[in-house]
Amino acid sequence: MVLDIISAVLIFLGAVLSLAAAVGLVRFGDLLSRMHASAKPQVLGLVLVAVAIAIQFPTWATVTTLAIIISFQLVTIPVATHMVGRAGYRTKHLRRSMLYRDELAEAVDRAEAREIAWERQRGTGTDHHDG
Amino acid sequence: MSEIVLHSLVVAGSVLLAASVVIALFRIVRGPSILDRMIGTDVVLASIMCGLGGYMALSDRTDLLPVLIVLAMLGFVGSVSVSRYVSKSDSMTPGAEAGALSEFSASDWHMPRDADEPSPGSTSVSQARPSDDVTEIADPTYDAHADSGGEGEGTGPDPGPDDAEHVSDGDGQESNRGS
Repeated sequence: MVLDIISAVLIFLGAVLSLAAAVGLVRFGDLLSRMHASAKPQVLGLVLVAVAIAIQFPTWATVTTLAIIISFQLVTIPVATHMVGRAGYRTKHLRRSMLYRDELAEAVDRAEAREIAWERQRGTGTDHHDG
Repeated sequence: MSEIVLHSLVVAGSVLLAASVVIALFRIVRGPSILDRMIGTDVVLASIMCGLGGYMALSDRTDLLPVLIVLAMLGFVGSVSVSRYVSKSDSMTPGAEAGALSEFSASDWHMPRDADEPSPGSTSVSQARPSDDVTEIADPTYDAHADSGGEGEGTGPDPGPDDAEHVSDGDGQESNRGS
């Protein structure tokens, strides 16, 4: 019975994390802030629920399957979040005024300079060929 | 006594999960861009996973564990695919509240590449730039022009160099005037 209550408390904490993510999703005004909020129940909430399940069913099959699920989440959630943030940066879905520092802008500068050099080189090359 | 505590915890957790799903659905409906909707969908999916896990823990249903795996994989595939193909044509809800988004248009993508054609190029790059004008062309330079042709990491939906040359006739003039 104590284990049941512990499991219920863990599930309740997972639900609280999920609600916090939803509230942050509405309250925050930026894509990156919303991404920050939404990552909490995807990892920590699921870990809490998985611990609750493992308390209820302490068998090898269940625990290993839960380990698979959690490790899968831990691997895939950063990848998905990185993709979303990258797309958001490229389509300017972020507030510049909320950024303290934009370290990606310097890389963008270098990349643009490199691209312009490449364009000029290719343009002169084709001109020589044509003319 | 412990029964009451247990039942109250379960009911409270269910109510919280339902509330989080409803609030995330609100964000999905109202989100200004499709990426916000994608994040809302992720939160809904995480809530579903938490609720399903709680159901599995409190009623003896360990046969639902593969459903959790499938849901985790679904969230990953959905996020990656949507954010992969959102870059080129993204439709904002008109009147969106997030600042500095309204000036985004399709012609902005080609602006710096077209702007450098009449100008001497590198000097125009190194001079001061308010970092809003050039950020759009971030990634095609990394992938499309590098000599590595095989990695498909950013080449798919982006306007490549050839596309930019095709489009550059009309849009370049406008963007030059605008800047």
